[in-house]
Amino acid sequence: MNERVIPWQPTVIAGPKQALLVTPETAEMMIVKAKRPLIVVGPLINDNPAQVLVSKIAEKWNIPIVSTGDAFKSLTEAGVPSKSYGLVEIVNLLKDPEWKGVSGEGNHDLVLFIGVIYYMGSQGLSTLKHFAPHLKTLTLCKFFHSNADASFPNMKDEEWLKYLEMLAKVD
Amino acid sequence: MENKSKAKELKDDFWKSKKLLVTTGKIADDIQGDSSESKGPTLKPSVTDLREWDMKLLKRYTPFYAPFCDMCCLCTYGKCDLTGGKKGACGIDIEAQQARIVLLACCIGSAAHGGHARHLLEYLIAEKGEDFPIDMGTNIDIEAPIMRVVIGKKPRNLGDLKEALDYLEEQMVHLLSACHTGQEGKSIDFESKALHAGLMDDLGKEIGDLAQIAALSMPKGEDAPLVELGLGTINQEKPVILCIGHNVAPGASIIDYLEDHGLDDDVEVCGICCAAIDITRYKPGAKVIGPLSKQLKFVRSGVADVVVVDEQCVRTDVLEEARKNKAAVIATTDKICLGLPDLTGVNTDKIVKKLVNDEIEGALILDPDKVGEVSTRVARQIAEERKSLKKLPDLQEIQEMAKECTECGWCVRVCPNNQPMMEAVTGAAEGDFSKFIELYKYDVCYTCGRCEQECEVNLPLISMLTKVGEHYVKDEKFNIRAGRGPVQDVEIRRVGAPIVLGDIPGVIAFVGCSNYPEGGEDVAKMAEEFLERNYIVVTSGCGAMSVGEYRDGDGKTLYEKYSGDFDAKGLVNVGSCVSNAHIPGACIKIANIFAKKPLEGNFEEIADYILNRVGACGVAWGAYSQKAAAIATGVNRWGIPVVVGPHGTKYRRLFLGRADKPENWKINDLRTGEVVQGEPAPEHLLYAAENREEATVMIAKLCIRHTDTPKGRQIKLNHYLDIHKKYFGILPEDVYKFVRNEKDIPITYKKEVTNILEEVGWEPRALPQEPSLMKFREEKASDKGDSNE
Repeated sequence: MNERVIPWQPTVIAGPKQALLVTPETAEMMIVKAKRPLIVVGPLINDNPAQVLVSKIAEKWNIPIVSTGDAFKSLTEAGVPSKSYGLVEIVNLLKDPEWKGVSGEGNHDLVLFIGVIYYMGSQGLSTLKHFAPHLKTLTLCKFFHSNADASFPNMKDEEWLKYLEMLAKVD
Repeated sequence: MENKSKAKELKDDFWKSKKLLVTTGKIADDIQGDSSESKGPTLKPSVTDLREWDMKLLKRYTPFYAPFCDMCCLCTYGKCDLTGGKKGACGIDIEAQQARIVLLACCIGSAAHGGHARHLLEYLIAEKGEDFPIDMGTNIDIEAPIMRVVIGKKPRNLGDLKEALDYLEEQMVHLLSACHTGQEGKSIDFESKALHAGLMDDLGKEIGDLAQIAALSMPKGEDAPLVELGLGTINQEKPVILCIGHNVAPGASIIDYLEDHGLDDDVEVCGICCAAIDITRYKPGAKVIGPLSKQLKFVRSGVADVVVVDEQCVRTDVLEEARKNKAAVIATTDKICLGLPDLTGVNTDKIVKKLVNDEIEGALILDPDKVGEVSTRVARQIAEERKSLKKLPDLQEIQEMAKECTECGWCVRVCPNNQPMMEAVTGAAEGDFSKFIELYKYDVCYTCGRCEQECEVNLPLISMLTKVGEHYVKDEKFNIRAGRGPVQDVEIRRVGAPIVLGDIPGVIAFVGCSNYPEGGEDVAKMAEEFLERNYIVVTSGCGAMSVGEYRDGDGKTLYEKYSGDFDAKGLVNVGSCVSNAHIPGACIKIANIFAKKPLEGNFEEIADYILNRVGACGVAWGAYSQKAAAIATGVNRWGIPVVVGPHGTKYRRLFLGRADKPENWKINDLRTGEVVQGEPAPEHLLYAAENREEATVMIAKLCIRHTDTPKGRQIKLNHYLDIHKKYFGILPEDVYKFVRNEKDIPITYKKEVTNILEEVGWEPRALPQEPSLMKFREEKASDKGDSNE
């Protein structure tokens, strides 16, 4: 089996439904198609070069950022605005189709995750897979997330940062 | 117990009767003890008796499900795919299936504590007799708060505890049966049953701890001594007996045997997990190696000559691991037999001979007294020969092993926390052991051993970690305050009012296992944060040991620095897993002693009081077991919120509130008869945080309660704002939700908070005088009328 699409922690495999492996190009198409995308940024990319690239992606597509764990402080210090929620809180809100979203304009239809603790992120993605048919999930981590609708593959840092750069690149 | 007999026909000279029914039972006074309080509506509640209360909780704190598995594989219809709204062959959907697994977990956990209590009680009754008194000393009148509420009985002696255990076991059968295919079908009712299983867990723990406190003269809430903790406390020149598990009986018997034979100074007795805590409650001379996370490390170290296992949280491969360095293994309960021969009825000399001569790998001995003698004699006889096995290998040897690493990286991928084991190995290959030491300290690597299972060149990674760690930190010594058991009634009289009014900002209990995301230091740092801020900090089990393994900037452990009083700035180790019962027990006592709420059969009123007025919060940062699931669910039913670590999401279910929906927080003011707008306090009932920083902020917030006085609210908000600013850099946006009027605003943050209030258009609101989720009296009367009709 292609090691790039075995879940990073192999035992998170939950069943027959697996994420679609995506390239930066496919990820871009998903973002373009979305009406109200959202980026959820976890603490694993605090002080990481990926943080800057995520802020560029958010800026390029005008996507609001939600920070989880203590990522808010690190993002703020890097000059990146975000709204702070616990991971389980934001997932709980996202699964409610009536929730108005972080901008108050309606729930989001595409949620991009990056930097959340892998196994906890996997659980949150599982919640959304089962209970939020009104939205799609896309993970931008360097790890393959089988519980997402779409995920980048397992990668080493160098390739991962290139993926993010491609997505952040202003045409 | 009630006995009935029915005679078909009775004929005598002066009396003739047919179908005569004779019923004999215990004398009422014996059942009810000396309590003169009136009895509430739910004595010995059935599975559905507290369902109405559960639904109130579940409406406000809706179950949040995170399926661990998309399928159900519990019957031969399956596996059934439950994705995309599909139902299984039996009709179950994904929500109900998650809730069903949660109920199953809570049943397993509760059964473990109930079984433990049964073992202990039967043993102690056999040793001391049914009439052995339960005397908790002059400072405790409410010796069994949970039992008083649930059973309605004041236990006078060990025999009285049997009735409560019988009730518990009956309930457990019904609860477990509800997990069978084709039984319960709705998630919400599975949850109500899980809450009931949690309550049974509370009861089982209380029975178990009460029995051992009374019969084994463990501390009764008084100040307990500091006891030694850490690998460095063990004198490896002496024979070493290691106890692993939770049941104190075998360990206590070992200590008794040593004392009776004047061998106290000749043999080291130590423990891992709750067995460690309980043997030091029995005799402070015993030593605590540490939490569960030490298990494989310590067994692999070869230091223990004899490994005695009892029940719960023992590695299932303990025999294989212990035999790698020729330690003898003695299994002591029916829960863990390990395939060993049952030698309970065999002559002691013969057992010792077989073990010493290595004729058998170990023995199953179901008589604790015999365990005491056998383990001591075997340890003394094999220790000398085993000394070479305790010696540390040269680091050069480890360096050579490390050179075999292929750098495939799978050790990191299969690690539950993705800790950098590969980096540690590649560093060691170059003679740099620093990464191994980082993994060793605070049990950042908790030695589950999954990395070894995956290693393609079969490197003994845990042994390498153990040996490197021992070279650098083997002499580390810490301490822990021995478990003191219950909170005394006199303490509740002193702190009941300050807790309910908010002058003491909260009671925070660090409980549970050591499945930490980044090592045990996180637990100690959280405890330290709240101790410095005048909270009452309670510890138990592995959490208590993790707190003890940390030294502050002055080189002191937190147990040395803070008193063991149940008071502001007190660090109270209640004891082992079963001692967790004393935490809801203290909250129940506040409702009874401070607020005069009757106990017997009065669960809902007590829980309602705790939920709305007692600023307590549990923290199970490393929760991993089914017992931890039952413990959390149990205290949730009493209205106590719990924060778990990130691994806690794998339990599949949390209880989350929606602070963005004001309608969810309306509350009845029983004093005025009005429904008023309340606040999200506590906001969640079971919450998983991603890291320590997030958890610390949430814990402070979850201590806020409706009944805080303006002064109390200022104190609580001050800590919440302070901590939020510390870890997030700004004040929390939601502070306005917890400001009822201007008097609640902390003086130090007056300007900033006022700005936030203005931004959101905040308006002051009325304070409920008697906040409650319970019905108004008129509603209750109306319901009663309806049912009578």
